[in-house]
Amino acid sequence: MAAFELWSFLALIIVAVYAHFVLSTRAPAEGEDYYKAIGQLRRPLFVFLALLLLISFALSVPHFPYPRNQIPDKVVYVTAKQFAFAITEKPIRTDEEFEEATTAEPVKVPINALVEFRVTSRDVNHGFSLYAPDGELLGQTQAMPGYVNRLFMRFDRPGTYLALCLEYCGIGHHRMRGIFEVVAQKGR
Amino acid sequence: MMAEIALPAEVEWAPAERAAFQRLTLAWSGTLFVLFPVLGLLGLFMRLSHANFFPNLDPIWFYAALTLHGVGMVGLWFITGFSGVLYLLSRYVRPSLAVSRLSFALTLLGVLLLVIATLVGRFAAGWYFLYPLPYRSGGAWANWATDVYLIALATLGVAWTLWALDLLRAIAQRYSLSQALCWHYLRGETKPEVPPLILITTVSTIASLTGFVAAVILLAFFAADRLAGVPADPLLMKNLVFYFGHVLVNITMYLGVAMLYDVLPQYVGHPWKTTATTAFAWNAVLFLVLFAYFHHLYMDFAQPKAFQVLGQMASYMISLPAAVVSILGTLAMVYRTKVRWTLASSLLFAGTMGWAVGGVAAVIDSTIAINFRFHNTLWVPAHFHTYFLMGVVLMIMGFLAHLTAQLSGREEPPALRRTILTLLLVGGYGFLLMFYLAGAHHVPRRYAVYPEELAQGILYARLSLPFIALLSIGILLYIWEVGKRWALAFATVGARSP
Repeated sequence: MAAFELWSFLALIIVAVYAHFVLSTRAPAEGEDYYKAIGQLRRPLFVFLALLLLISFALSVPHFPYPRNQIPDKVVYVTAKQFAFAITEKPIRTDEEFEEATTAEPVKVPINALVEFRVTSRDVNHGFSLYAPDGELLGQTQAMPGYVNRLFMRFDRPGTYLALCLEYCGIGHHRMRGIFEVVAQKGR
Repeated sequence: MMAEIALPAEVEWAPAERAAFQRLTLAWSGTLFVLFPVLGLLGLFMRLSHANFFPNLDPIWFYAALTLHGVGMVGLWFITGFSGVLYLLSRYVRPSLAVSRLSFALTLLGVLLLVIATLVGRFAAGWYFLYPLPYRSGGAWANWATDVYLIALATLGVAWTLWALDLLRAIAQRYSLSQALCWHYLRGETKPEVPPLILITTVSTIASLTGFVAAVILLAFFAADRLAGVPADPLLMKNLVFYFGHVLVNITMYLGVAMLYDVLPQYVGHPWKTTATTAFAWNAVLFLVLFAYFHHLYMDFAQPKAFQVLGQMASYMISLPAAVVSILGTLAMVYRTKVRWTLASSLLFAGTMGWAVGGVAAVIDSTIAINFRFHNTLWVPAHFHTYFLMGVVLMIMGFLAHLTAQLSGREEPPALRRTILTLLLVGGYGFLLMFYLAGAHHVPRRYAVYPEELAQGILYARLSLPFIALLSIGILLYIWEVGKRWALAFATVGARSP
């Protein structure tokens, strides 16, 4: 929600500025060259916005979700196929293994452990997302045929986590799901 | 007034030729008056579906509507923007009427094929038809529907490439490439004087041609897969389709901005001249637009990390020229100035606000760490609808109000202008706010039906409906008013054609 608050704050400022400028046209100033005066704001505005963006960029770098040579505590394999996820402890090699895995007991991962999800697809592009038990979207990566995307996550809340598909994959896209459990003790 | 604030028209058209050109421009915009409400209805249908109004509907119809709405709206505003800019440019250069006519005919054919692919063939792979989904639908649509969809895109691609090439040819007859890109301004020279319209259009046309090249390669890979069974690389295909799509949307935005630079001064009485800053800003845009599209692939962790970093940097930086040159320029243009506020000038001005508000949301989402949670949630349609619907669409609607007023000699009563503006702004921003809220609450985009865990998606869709009603009334009132002028203009201009 912080992003929403940031956006709404900035959006309100923009709307207020526009309202101010529209209202200013009700009292036009003859002979005064306000065009140049406002134009002089260009350089300071540029410097301010450029600095703001560069600082935001620098602050965001440590939060990139990409793998950084971490050693995981547990590896979980995620295989997507129209229209289900198989979340398993071993890689899926055949469609039969996939079918079996979609009805098997959910995988358990230990709380606060560094979990590596190795995410791939057996058919088209899918999106593997992680929804916490309270419905919060924690993160995601794409599931692509021919590629393995490695997603590192830690979970600080026990419970059942839901994986929904976040890349449109066909007519059953909205039905696609997978689950796993985060448990207080170490998993199997 | 025109002569005081714009460079003198340098191209003399024979009256019959001029009338034929005006008729063609009116024909392009007439397409808009028909297709905009129809494609808008598809959008309403999707929000009604989200609001659970059709619980037993086959989801294929949702996804087919999603596909047609997406590809149709972007294509529609691109062609309306391009034809409008062509009209404005005809004061300075001489585009070919024959090429524009051919492009119009091919575009109509392309649209017809898109309708057949989606509404008859039920092709529903989304506008972006991510490889290999189009030919692996699991039986939801037939392969022939995909064939028709791809042929439709190829037809539109040919039409628009010819159009763009002809425009560059016309510009090249008067300006060298470096002059059209205003590089002499960067050296401190101001002669020859080049209107911003030429600069922005040259930048946009070159960028759009690079997008069309990407589309050709993409279609060739699809053909190789379909005809010879040679599989393509899904990551490469994703790069190609997002490059093409991103550039097309950005260019449409810039076409609206080109109209703003050219038309708003006529209501303000102050020229918008090219300066070294304008030249630098738009050349920077031409460079940055090539890399910003990487933000569509942030969640493809297999993509080289350098591309991801470049994507965030380019997406951040491309907001600067927009903010400090075009948006600040628009504000400076009106400040304490006697502005003739009409439907045309108000919509052009309001469009820049949507560009700014949507741009802020886009920059937030182009931050990789935030996109990790926002990617493919409703935050994405929230921001692009803001700078599209409340941005470039308003700008182009403003241009059409201007064009039809000029050609028909009619303007709207002030009360009607205020009503239309209020309905569009309140309805539009209210409708979008529900997208933003849903995105911030983790509701995915491109879902026909929300699972029970995401029931908040249904609530936000229901809350958006009253706003969509206001927006729709505003659009219909606009079409009613501008459509009347359009018909009058068409008849007047028609009387002057041979």
